[in-house]
Amino acid sequence: MLELLTRSFEASTILVLAALGELISQRAGVLNVGLEGLMLFGGTLAFITAQSTGSYILGVLAGLAVGGFLGLAHGFFSITLRGDQVVSGMGLWILSFGLTTYIGSPYTGPLGMERIQTPFGLSPFVYLAVILVAAAWLLVFRTGPGLAIRSSGENPSAAEVSGINVAAIRYLCVTFGGMLAGLSGATYTLSYNPVWNYNFLGGWGFTSLALVFFSMWNPWILLAGASMFAAMWQLSLSPELVLPGILSRYIWRTLPFVTTIVILSIISTPWFRTRWGLARPEALGRPYAKE
Amino acid sequence: MRLGRYTLTLEPRPTLSPLHAVLTAILAIFVALALSSVIFLRSELGALSAYRVIFSYAFANPNGLFTTVHRAIFLLFCTFAFLVPLRAGLWNIGLPGQVYAGALAAFAVPFALQAHEAPSPLLPPGLTVLAMVLAAAVAGAALAAFAGILWAKLHVNEILVTMMLNSILFWFVSYMIKEGGPYMGATAEGESFLLPDALRAPTVLGVPFTAMLAVGAAALLDLFFAKTTLGYKIRAFGLNPAASRYAGINPVTLPVLVFVLGGAFAGLAGYHNFAAIPGLYKISGNYGYYGDLAFYGIISGLIARGGAAAIPVVLLFAGLSLGARLVQGQLHLPFGVDYALLGLLMMTFVPFLILYRFRIALRLAPKALPQISADVPKA
Amino acid sequence: MKAGTGRVRRPVPAPAIHSPEGSSIPGEPILSARGITKRFPGVLALDRVDLDVRAGEIRAVLGQNGAGKTTLMNILFGLVQPDEGQLYLRGRQVHFRSPHDALTIGIGMVHQTRKLVAAHTVLENLVLGNPGARGFLNLARARREIGELCQRYGVVLELGARVWQLSEGEKQWVEILKALYRGARILILDEPTSVLTPPEVKTLLTGLKALVSDQGVTVLVVTHKLPIVMAVSHAVTVLRSGRVVASLRTDEATEQILVRHMIGKDVSLRLTKAPVEPGRLLLQVEDLSAFSDKGLRALRGVSFVLREGEIFGVAGVTGNGQEELAQVIAGLRPTAAGRILFDGHDMTLRSPLARWRLGIGYIPAERAEVASIAQFSLVENTGLNFHFDRAFSTQGFFDYARLEQLTERIVDTYDVKAPHLHVQAQNLSGGNLQKLILGRVLSRKPRLLIAHLPTQGLDVEATAFVRGTLMETCSQGAAVLLISEDLDEILALSDWIAPIYEGRFAAILSRGEADAETVGAMMAGLRSEEAGAP
Repeated sequence: MLELLTRSFEASTILVLAALGELISQRAGVLNVGLEGLMLFGGTLAFITAQSTGSYILGVLAGLAVGGFLGLAHGFFSITLRGDQVVSGMGLWILSFGLTTYIGSPYTGPLGMERIQTPFGLSPFVYLAVILVAAAWLLVFRTGPGLAIRSSGENPSAAEVSGINVAAIRYLCVTFGGMLAGLSGATYTLSYNPVWNYNFLGGWGFTSLALVFFSMWNPWILLAGASMFAAMWQLSLSPELVLPGILSRYIWRTLPFVTTIVILSIISTPWFRTRWGLARPEALGRPYAKE
Repeated sequence: MRLGRYTLTLEPRPTLSPLHAVLTAILAIFVALALSSVIFLRSELGALSAYRVIFSYAFANPNGLFTTVHRAIFLLFCTFAFLVPLRAGLWNIGLPGQVYAGALAAFAVPFALQAHEAPSPLLPPGLTVLAMVLAAAVAGAALAAFAGILWAKLHVNEILVTMMLNSILFWFVSYMIKEGGPYMGATAEGESFLLPDALRAPTVLGVPFTAMLAVGAAALLDLFFAKTTLGYKIRAFGLNPAASRYAGINPVTLPVLVFVLGGAFAGLAGYHNFAAIPGLYKISGNYGYYGDLAFYGIISGLIARGGAAAIPVVLLFAGLSLGARLVQGQLHLPFGVDYALLGLLMMTFVPFLILYRFRIALRLAPKALPQISADVPKA
Repeated sequence: MKAGTGRVRRPVPAPAIHSPEGSSIPGEPILSARGITKRFPGVLALDRVDLDVRAGEIRAVLGQNGAGKTTLMNILFGLVQPDEGQLYLRGRQVHFRSPHDALTIGIGMVHQTRKLVAAHTVLENLVLGNPGARGFLNLARARREIGELCQRYGVVLELGARVWQLSEGEKQWVEILKALYRGARILILDEPTSVLTPPEVKTLLTGLKALVSDQGVTVLVVTHKLPIVMAVSHAVTVLRSGRVVASLRTDEATEQILVRHMIGKDVSLRLTKAPVEPGRLLLQVEDLSAFSDKGLRALRGVSFVLREGEIFGVAGVTGNGQEELAQVIAGLRPTAAGRILFDGHDMTLRSPLARWRLGIGYIPAERAEVASIAQFSLVENTGLNFHFDRAFSTQGFFDYARLEQLTERIVDTYDVKAPHLHVQAQNLSGGNLQKLILGRVLSRKPRLLIAHLPTQGLDVEATAFVRGTLMETCSQGAAVLLISEDLDEILALSDWIAPIYEGRFAAILSRGEADAETVGAMMAGLRSEEAGAP
């Protein structure tokens, strides 16, 4: 039971990191539906780097770098070229899904390194995630740049005439979001489950994306939601810890996905939409053209 | 970008010609192939020879050609499953889930009739096959309709819902065919029962009849979008939902309808792949691979944008993904060359898709103007 | 200049005599433009424009829609970069890469469409982009500073309120205050009166005069409304088709001279609907209520009747429930309470499609976003009103050939200027697009036409054409529900006039009872009578 709890915390870290980056990116108005792809790429390169160099630090850096790079690419398509953000995001996801399967396949198997030390029984990534949540909240709601980010996502032309460089803000946020997604992938492959397998995430990234919609674009609610979801993921992976013998393990595996659909539907009902949905950045997903 | 006295800028094109779109698509495919050759450079064979092996197996070898055609039919159904909702502005990325649903429903017919063990007295084999096809289409449609209804009624993001349904169906298939699941085969572990000979899809010249459905659908789909009122409504909805609502187009039934149509195509793909391709006739343990393959439907849908135009694209993709598997073995390349190809095609095509709306312009730069100073001189 | 954290700089001494150019009186220009040229794809928006604005004056820039006024102002504010030409501030050349540069040297702009973040508070909007807001936000200090600023200018604003809760007049003051908080000494206002009620206009103009005389601010007012020019400006520059056609002192100008400069010829704007013998009762609206997208009760119990041959004019400033009224009657928004009877049938729950079929035609205000599809050809756009028409489809197939014939007829009859019928709608100008939409909807021969802001943003000729068409439609027996912000338009065309304020009709006046002053006051919520049915 305790193990389920600590594992849940570690699992929630993966969701939190990816969703937090996406939250900031969406606050600035850029939607990246290819989040899972960025996580896959970050996780895969982190795994390969760590295994080749024997250094966790370098692995994490590789994850951050590739995530940031893909975020930047998404920024180029959606900000500079004003392309359809969904096309670009889906493209990044399929690209990553395809390429990581190929790149990673020679490394299929366990990482084979000593596990990362766990201060107080939890992976250091857990602490990092909580700190980042607090920092993100401060940034978004308590600082001038945060106000600029929120304004860029709500009404970019109002931000522009106030002297804000909307394109720069969006680039920064989408790149930062990509880096966090890469870090999230690295957390998965280096700490949570250090075994590489093709398409190892199997939907975590899409769940993270759903979490952002659920969070009202507020980091603290995101943290709470992620913990809840992570507990469910953990339960679905090892139901025997809680409810042995009920239902096939395969049916349990569908639990997080069914719950995601149910929760997405609930927060989309008119009753919720007029309360919950008001936090949705007004210009989310819309390319911004000056003039 | 500044080049001497000139500036290099990207400007939107004022008009977009169809020819230009075709050329862009072809160019994108060539660039993707060129990029993929990096993979083959690692082998002693060299990129050109690798491609020769791929294409000669996929299109010149009789065995290879049949497999290519079978796979192309599967991809064609998947392409339409993605394309129809896309024309209404909606993303059906639930192709794998709907494929699985189609397969499960198709196998449910003989299962329910107890016809998978002995010929059923209830329904003659011909009608059973027909029922299987219908069940597959209905199941795919129903699964997609679920996403469509959630979108139409509540605006729940269709990408997320269809993606979640993929995972749900993936595990559900495992439940059905593995570890004592209802469909588990008598002998094999982790596979469904084998369809009896009588219930296998009839073939014409070695190609199952589903080919005719797919090619017929290709032609009808173009006619549908270009000439019918419903096709007009779907296009209008895809370009501008607010305007189509103003014009009296029902904003609930139309999105559900496109998902139903798309899902039916994906269901047929599931039927075709697991119940019609000679040599398989069961839901195999590696069904997930075919689910992943269905994602090729997204990219060929984005590239072809139409029914007939999709045929050459899916043939190419089918041949490439098959041949890639072959050379992977021959050249001792890592697993997943076909996945890499999928990724590379997406990587080149998306930039092309976005970039082709722009042109690169080289213009004489305006003379540099002095920068403002922060201090305003006193009047 | 110190990029002040809210401190308004010491006022520069205002020149003793206002000395606009055009006459020979000398004076130091504070802001000058020389040879400004700007091209947009297919359009020469500005053609070698020169402008001199003198310190401490109110300069009006007058011109019709499409004359290039807004483009010129966007260039002065750094939002748009000119293709050719230079800008000078106090004789020194300046180059604006973005609004940031303009703001830094003291130019602020209040845009025609509000550039405020609706979801944020007034305070957050005022602080946004301020150089003082680099690190952690010190909202308490900003609140104090802005409080002082408000006091100095006599502005009353609830700083904690969300912007979407404010009236248009209040939003405008937020924008003005924002410019001043950034230390603007030159204030550009683009069509500042377009969405204000007459009393709000009065307050604004008084406030602007005070800014200039007491604080030495220089003001540029862009407008197409002559009374505004005459009321506040010291000098006026007239733009026509991207060129400066005149620059003169306001006290030397008359309305007639300015109109001639603005339009280029004498055009009679006076069109008045001939009274008609009212026909059959067609539309009965009883106690109608509806919610806005934000879930607020935007329409609060509206009742009226409309007979064949009549125009019922709803006058009001945007955001008082007009859009909801139009949408509810067209079936695009659910009715919260009340009912709609059309020709005796209860329409309240019928779909938009059913209402089209029964003869309710709707011309929404957003002609490019809602009434047409930018990427569709003209023929396909015509299809928007005919895809459900049995005459245009056989067994599910759309009769595109017939649609093309119809489109050709519309283009001819309604004088739509387009290169050919298969050009995308986004290539049409606003006026031509509106004529196409009008022709398309009228080809259905609707018995009731809902026209929402039908002439907004159109040039004089197109406006006259649209108004003429509306009257002609009525003379053929249809009824028109005209919703407009343009009081002159309402008064000239309507048989019945209903000023709308906060979702209610202040009154329903017959043509004889209505005059501009009464209706204007009612639009502002200042006076109301018991709304009685005609």
